[in-house]
Amino acid sequence: MNLIFALNRASRLMAPLLAFAASSVCASPHKSSPPDNLRLRAPVDYSKDIRPILAINCFTCHGQDPLTRQGGLRLDTRDTAIASRPSGRAIDPGKPEKSDIIARINTSSSDLIMPPVASQHKLSAEQKRLLSLWVQQGAPYADHWAFSPITRPAQPKIKGTQSAWIRNPIDSFVMHGLQKAGLIPAPEADRYTLIRRLSLDLTGLAPAQSDVAAFMSDGSKQAYEHAVDRLLNSPRYGEYWARMWLDLMRYADTQGYEKDNPRTIWRYRDWVIDAFNTDMPYDRFTVEQLAGDLLPNPTDSQLLATACHRNTMTNTEGGVDPEEFRVAAIKDRVDTTGQVWMGLTIGCAKCHSHKYDPVTNQEYYRFYALFNQTADANYGDETPTAQMPSEDQRKKLAEVQGRVISLRESFNRDSPNLDAQQPAWEKQLAASRTWSNASHIEAKAESGATIHARADGALLVSGTHKDKDVYTLTCAVPAGGITAMRLEALKDPSLPNGGPGRDAADQNVVTSEITIESIAPNAAAGSKLALTNARADFEQGGWPVSAAIDGNPDTGWAFSPQNAQAHVAIFDLKSPLPAVDANQQVRLTIRQNYARLQHGCFRISFSSSDPKLLQPTADDISEIAARAAAKRSDADRQRLKEAFRQTHAPTDAIWKQIAAAEAEQKTLEASIPRIPIMKELTTDKQRVTRIHRRGNFMDPGDTVTPAVPAAFGALPAGAPPNRLGAAQWLVSKSNPLTPRVAVNRIWARMFGVGIVETEEDFGTQGVPPSNPDLLNYLAASFRDDMGWSFKKLCKTIVMSSTYRQASVATPLKKKIDPRNLLLSRGPRFRMTAEMIRDQALAVSGLLSSKMYGPSMMPPQPSGIWRTVYSGMKWETSKGEDRYRRGLYTFWRRSSPYPAMTTFDAGSGEFCVVRRIRTNTPLQALVTLNDPAYIEAAGALGKAMLAASPTDVQQRIVTGFRRTLVRVPYPAEASRLVALYRLTLAGFKAKPEAAKSLLAAANLSASEDRGAELAACITVANVLLNLDETVSKP
Amino acid sequence: MNPLFENDLRASRRELFGKTASGIGIAAIASLLEQEGMAAPPGKEKLAIPGLQGLPHFAPKAKRVVVLWQGGAPSHVDLFQHQPLLEQRRMQQVPDSIRSKGRLSTMTAGQKNYPVLPPIKPFKQYGKNGMWLSEMLPYTGGISDEICLINSMHTEAVNHAPGVTLFMTGSQIPGRPSMGAWATYGLGCVTSELPAFCVMTSMDTGKTCGQLFYDYYWGSGFLPSRYQGVRFRGEGDPVLYLADPSGTSRSLRRGQLDDISELNHRRLTEFGDPEIETRITQYEMAYKMQTSVPDLLDISKEPKSILDMYGPDVQRKGSFARNCLLARRLLERGVRFVQLMHAGWDQHGNLDTQLALQCKDTDQPSAALVMDLKQRGLLDDTIVLWGGEFGRTTFVQGDITKPNAHGRDHLGTCYSMWVAGGGFKGGTVYGKPDEYCYNVEADGVHPYDLQATILHQLGIEHTKLTYRYQGRDFRLTDVHGALVPGIIS
Repeated sequence: MNLIFALNRASRLMAPLLAFAASSVCASPHKSSPPDNLRLRAPVDYSKDIRPILAINCFTCHGQDPLTRQGGLRLDTRDTAIASRPSGRAIDPGKPEKSDIIARINTSSSDLIMPPVASQHKLSAEQKRLLSLWVQQGAPYADHWAFSPITRPAQPKIKGTQSAWIRNPIDSFVMHGLQKAGLIPAPEADRYTLIRRLSLDLTGLAPAQSDVAAFMSDGSKQAYEHAVDRLLNSPRYGEYWARMWLDLMRYADTQGYEKDNPRTIWRYRDWVIDAFNTDMPYDRFTVEQLAGDLLPNPTDSQLLATACHRNTMTNTEGGVDPEEFRVAAIKDRVDTTGQVWMGLTIGCAKCHSHKYDPVTNQEYYRFYALFNQTADANYGDETPTAQMPSEDQRKKLAEVQGRVISLRESFNRDSPNLDAQQPAWEKQLAASRTWSNASHIEAKAESGATIHARADGALLVSGTHKDKDVYTLTCAVPAGGITAMRLEALKDPSLPNGGPGRDAADQNVVTSEITIESIAPNAAAGSKLALTNARADFEQGGWPVSAAIDGNPDTGWAFSPQNAQAHVAIFDLKSPLPAVDANQQVRLTIRQNYARLQHGCFRISFSSSDPKLLQPTADDISEIAARAAAKRSDADRQRLKEAFRQTHAPTDAIWKQIAAAEAEQKTLEASIPRIPIMKELTTDKQRVTRIHRRGNFMDPGDTVTPAVPAAFGALPAGAPPNRLGAAQWLVSKSNPLTPRVAVNRIWARMFGVGIVETEEDFGTQGVPPSNPDLLNYLAASFRDDMGWSFKKLCKTIVMSSTYRQASVATPLKKKIDPRNLLLSRGPRFRMTAEMIRDQALAVSGLLSSKMYGPSMMPPQPSGIWRTVYSGMKWETSKGEDRYRRGLYTFWRRSSPYPAMTTFDAGSGEFCVVRRIRTNTPLQALVTLNDPAYIEAAGALGKAMLAASPTDVQQRIVTGFRRTLVRVPYPAEASRLVALYRLTLAGFKAKPEAAKSLLAAANLSASEDRGAELAACITVANVLLNLDETVSKP
Repeated sequence: MNPLFENDLRASRRELFGKTASGIGIAAIASLLEQEGMAAPPGKEKLAIPGLQGLPHFAPKAKRVVVLWQGGAPSHVDLFQHQPLLEQRRMQQVPDSIRSKGRLSTMTAGQKNYPVLPPIKPFKQYGKNGMWLSEMLPYTGGISDEICLINSMHTEAVNHAPGVTLFMTGSQIPGRPSMGAWATYGLGCVTSELPAFCVMTSMDTGKTCGQLFYDYYWGSGFLPSRYQGVRFRGEGDPVLYLADPSGTSRSLRRGQLDDISELNHRRLTEFGDPEIETRITQYEMAYKMQTSVPDLLDISKEPKSILDMYGPDVQRKGSFARNCLLARRLLERGVRFVQLMHAGWDQHGNLDTQLALQCKDTDQPSAALVMDLKQRGLLDDTIVLWGGEFGRTTFVQGDITKPNAHGRDHLGTCYSMWVAGGGFKGGTVYGKPDEYCYNVEADGVHPYDLQATILHQLGIEHTKLTYRYQGRDFRLTDVHGALVPGIIS
């Protein structure tokens, strides 16, 4: 029985209130309507006219989501909508009078009216008429335009005089639209404008003076194209377009949330720059970032690419549930992938099926399952990570590794002479003992814990267990003195889980500091013996054994993840302690400051042998030497040989070189950044994915298998059901969204508005394309002709006449095409935060062209950063690093660089598809007063002053042209000359004011002609603040 | 509202009138008309920075908000929830049945004992209404007839940053617009000489609290960045980049701005881009702000009687007391939303020593602000909100035998906040906690409910102030929130 659509029922169930209904009316973009008589004949367009009405008003209760569906009626597919039902048909094609929906939208009964009163939705008379007309015309359904396959549209034929304007197909599509609107394109912009526009669009920087000169003096027909090619090949191109991609990938240099600790992921930023500069095809660009680790034998570069989705936030605040934030990160990856590649608001389906687009709640979690198998899990150390050397580091590393190998070869080279000497040495060694257990006179724990000796000389700790502890051991000095000391962390059945640590939850031990002093018997204090050359069989990342003798109580030696194993560390005495009398003693102090992770069973031994013989291994070399030759393993033989040669000429000298080279290698390796990457869990460790009811991860529902949403096909044949499959599906021919969204994005950056204005939403709630044929042409061409090449796409766009138009808005155009959606003129809009900053540095000559590397800290007012946890500090970069491009600025999510956020740069917490441009007085304060801009004005002023010894006009024109490329109009120049003269008089009268302005501009107060320079700076400050300066022409 | 129309909000008047035919930009037109006094109905605010069309949705009770944020989570057990039974149950276990309902932070989730620690200082009755408050809050007691004390706040958050983020932005995960951003986005502002949404921060005198305040507590999220709160700083320029470069006199700066304006006007004539007009206005507003901010911060003309009200700390820049006084000065100059962020209430292990000091830092200035607004006739239409991200456990954390080694852990299931002015019911205590001040028994108020009610007092129906982002219409209260009629008159 159909409760909702039974016309003759007096009551009905109230449809639930729409959660998000309130303002969705705004989204209906269709305003124009032809006269009535025409409309009857014109076929109604389902996608354009009907679907938006149904989507907003009907699908919430009669759409794809079975959970919210009312009366069992589904209107989003034609089959279900026209099906025969007990009460008749909801839609009877061709017969509006027999269709329930038409009756229900027109009824006067407030109980029966659709949409229900409680939904707060109401159809207009026009919408009702359209629905009737559509039913009358047979109620044809059509797929949403963006989800339909891309078909290459025929190029409109442009006839008459305007055909001369057509440079490439873009122009045909645009001209077609202009002609329909009765408009003609704007004339081509002048050359100054063109070179500035091109340079800003392709490289994000104003053109260098030399580029301007080259373009102006190139008399050939290809002058423009030459400029385009030159700019596309500039390394600045990749830097500029990388910033766009980093916005999408929510790139930042910190982890986010409360602690917001630093994250080393800048190598990914450099990967993106390189990908753009080498014009990596977008399909490969996609696959490597989403699933580079799943490619066969992935290269470092492919692994590095997967850092893309490791830009999600990590929460290490005390007391948080890591799974909560792991799940949040996976959802972010799913949502971001949908947004960035497909312009789909898939995230809407995490609590319930998407209200408007074909993604059900179950499909969301099936898609989520594809991303849910990575090893990362909100770890504070960002595990899994991988070392990502730069090219330079890679070369150096290869060199030193090669050196170690060849040195080792000569060290191990056959030598009958040495081999002949070795057995005698072994015999002597076997007779001696390299290590002897410490003989303890006293062993105390500060906590009051009890320390017992085990039969093998090890010490066993029991009883009181506090957060921190200090063990103090007094031992006799063995007869041979001490050259080195050994600390073994051992297992014992009395310990929780067998030790070596005392804590039940974690068997790890942190040895914060170990010290040794020589004392006279029963003396309170002794003299400290310096320790050196700490080495251990295993070190936890960030917890090396050297930290146990570094004097810093907050660092130490630990051995996670090998928490459950015995370990050994050796420390040499800087100067051996000779045994002078039998009563001599040493006192050891072992400080353990890390909460609860203390030694449960450990053994101290001393050696009087040459420290070179002493290796941090379970086996002692004297034991090996004592072993019968037949019982020695290969490793034993090698160790004996090495130990012998280390201590005998001539190989001992080689050994010194090996040690030095290995130390060098270690330092180098430590300097190579470890970058978070993607790693798939092994099959046996894979997670089961369940639906999260109402989006709540603590309320798991049905188990789901990985898949892509059915409305968008399926994983390509042979593609694995994981991230790699998902990536291949995104760039497969059957996915029409990926190329459309990509070309639209590039278009939007150049023209200010996308062909689809809602770059983030290509779904049914987004704005339809202003020029669908143009979009389809570009998408088809990008994918099929250009081989997914961004450079080719950019070139095609900028070569068009459309792009080259002047940006003059005539009154007629402002009336008919106020927002320039028809492209009746050139684009003109305010530049991004980074462009404004980079331009100021570039025109003043300060900009550094240095690429890559850790993020920079350009000057920032003090007190912006407040940290308690990590000790992070804003330390202003020195030298040219102070003047690097904006994209190299260190980005802290909880406190991003203020001068850039004021100009709409995001915080990096979430994917930003397009920055909404705003205007606030605070922006004016940045470019007028920020010391960075005053410094730029200073450098520009200096260049102006240098332009001519006496000619003021010349100085002004120089500053103007450096900033705006073009030549000033006489009125502009005279206005600035007047300002200069007035200001100069002022500074001459007050030389101290000139001096302080110079100082503010980071110039020496003793600069020549201070007043003139200050006047130039004042004019430069004006130039850097013109609307024309901060706007793309 | 739809981000599509962002461009239009910035368009010039001429441009907007040209667009009415296509139905775009009506919101902005309405505001601009109001601004020019052409269409503003009597009693409506004259806006210098336009809000949205159709807002307020209904006649507002309040026009301004000041949040006195008490970061770290003040102990409702010691300060606000009078429960004599706790003294009788000193050192007895908080029963499992009481504790089982809430999620604890992992700091005490593994604790084995949960002995009751009664309030460390006695409670007293204050005001005509006889409100029970700790004797550590005498000044708050003095304004008890103005405040509505909500004793039934509850939240899912048990960690600081997610808790603050939830209250300020409606989500535990950073990145959504904050309440002040929503309010100024929806309602605009009557002044353009000061930022519409201002933020100031302070630390407790003992600096015992580790919590920091992040930009996302007053961020604009996906709303355009102009709606983000502007932080007034305790060092350097009070507003970033406010000061002219040294060596630049005001008259020289005026000359520069005139030239910028002239050159921009020439460009406007040539290109007809209305954005140039906006830029010209923007520079004039910046110039005015350079005068109005120092004027705002100069308290030298405040009479002694007023300074005395706020207490001796008012003389110290960056103190909570100074910030309270500045908040009043901001509000009377037409700022829409002021957010004071104070840190210092996280007493895990130093309850005995630090709680009283914290009360001393904040009690007098908070009360002074309320009284000061009242005597100027501003309290009626200004909402003053006082509270933190959650409450603290009734049971002790740490070693109760050592005076400076115990305190209380975080508790989200029950806590208190108070609201004064703006149509909130003064002299009332709302909501019913259980006997252990651990769970809410009746009339629970979630941050979403309080957000909905605050917006309601501002004339905003919380479900209708939305912004489309990534295909969804987002709002401050997400998909939750209900008006709490019991706390408003």
